[in-house]
Amino acid sequence: MMQIVTSVVGEIIRTGRVAQFAFLALLAIFTSYAYSLGRKGRTWDIRPLEGLDAIDEGIGRSAEMGRPILLLPGISGLNNAQTMAGLTMYGEVTERAAKIGLDTHTIMTSTQAVTAAEAIARDAFVRAGKPEMYSPGKYVRWFGGGQFVYAVGAAGHIMEMRPALLIYMGYFLADVIVTAETGARIGAVSIGSTTDQSATPLMGMFCDYMLIGEEMYAASAEITRNPLAIATLAGEDWMKLIVLILMVVGVLANMASNNFVWQLLGM
Amino acid sequence: MSATSTYVRTYLTRIVVVVAAVATLAGYYFAYEPISTVSNELNIWSSLITSFTLFVGLISVFARYSRSVMNRDNNWPFHLYCLAMIVVWIIWGNMIGMYSTLYQTLYMSTKITLHITIIGQLIFFSVSGMYRTFRIKSLRTAVFAFFTVLIVFLNMPPLIAPFPALSTAAYWLLDNPQMAAARAMVMCGGIGGVILGIRILLGIEKGALRVTGGD
Repeated sequence: MMQIVTSVVGEIIRTGRVAQFAFLALLAIFTSYAYSLGRKGRTWDIRPLEGLDAIDEGIGRSAEMGRPILLLPGISGLNNAQTMAGLTMYGEVTERAAKIGLDTHTIMTSTQAVTAAEAIARDAFVRAGKPEMYSPGKYVRWFGGGQFVYAVGAAGHIMEMRPALLIYMGYFLADVIVTAETGARIGAVSIGSTTDQSATPLMGMFCDYMLIGEEMYAASAEITRNPLAIATLAGEDWMKLIVLILMVVGVLANMASNNFVWQLLGM
Repeated sequence: MSATSTYVRTYLTRIVVVVAAVATLAGYYFAYEPISTVSNELNIWSSLITSFTLFVGLISVFARYSRSVMNRDNNWPFHLYCLAMIVVWIIWGNMIGMYSTLYQTLYMSTKITLHITIIGQLIFFSVSGMYRTFRIKSLRTAVFAFFTVLIVFLNMPPLIAPFPALSTAAYWLLDNPQMAAARAMVMCGGIGGVILGIRILLGIEKGALRVTGGD
């Protein structure tokens, strides 16, 4: 019977992707359930993130100094979840800053992301009740598509505008060395966030505050305190618990010379 | 904002995104030919849209730099130079062909030279950053600096050769706590990315899919 089920599933789902699909389905179920609980009024507490508290402080500092804010979403396009996280945060920060009359700029490396960022900026100004502050091409910049083109363009922009708050949120590589060090030299408060393994230590070195790993994806939910967004984080935590259990069971089984977890995952 | 505009910007966009996302996911997971065809077709559309958005980027650069030149803003001569170069390279590329030897040689000579210049500067930026970060100001920074020095030693064979135990310790750090942390970051980042995508599709996040005055 088991063989028949495996065979049928193998015919429908591509080889080696059954476990991936099961994980995705499970994640969707958990998220939907947590979301429905959130809609019914269930609330969850989430721990405060130092890096996010620094955003409000940074906005206040920008207002005191009369300087703008710059958010860099990295060197990838809309096909990267890290860029999406950066763009989402750009909307939040722009709205908060616009309420007190501050400009929030961003620089994109992908022209696709330019159009999305323009739409987000416009909506943020409307939400803040300051639609007159929005001007196309004023807040969203594009200097070219390459990694170091982006880095040099952003560094030049930082030197020219001298922002008081710099947020790096997205996919970065060695380019962050140029931009973050330039930011440090002008005395801006810097908050770094990426899930890329090679850029994380660089951000740790150059930035004042950091959001590590998936904290970047949770940032917008945390900063807005939207109960429905926080509910989806609960779904994420349940999934992480499943992964953790699987890891512990896998290690114990492996120690007992049993590799059923490996087989289950199609490895 | 009119009701029609709100409808188009909120719901139609979201419907297109959901359909594209489901088709792409289905094409990735299921071995069913019609789904793969739809998925491939959507990828072609995506490539076409991406190519078109390049014009948006160019228009953005032209608008910004033209304004800068006309208003004689800071660094306006550089902006004028940039605009002139874009025009020259576009015309030239069309005249002699983008893949001609002359065009490629000039392009690569310019690009690689500038690229290498920036990469060469990274060391100065890094040293400056390291000087700030690895100063021992507390127990936490002392531990951080100690392990950093250990890893630096690992890459200096003449220093680590007399002390093989240091090499073992450094490799243990890289292969155990560092790798465990890196894998945890990748796994949690993957899950977090999917959840962010769901939030954007549901319209919870203030991304481009959620318009003012909508839901």
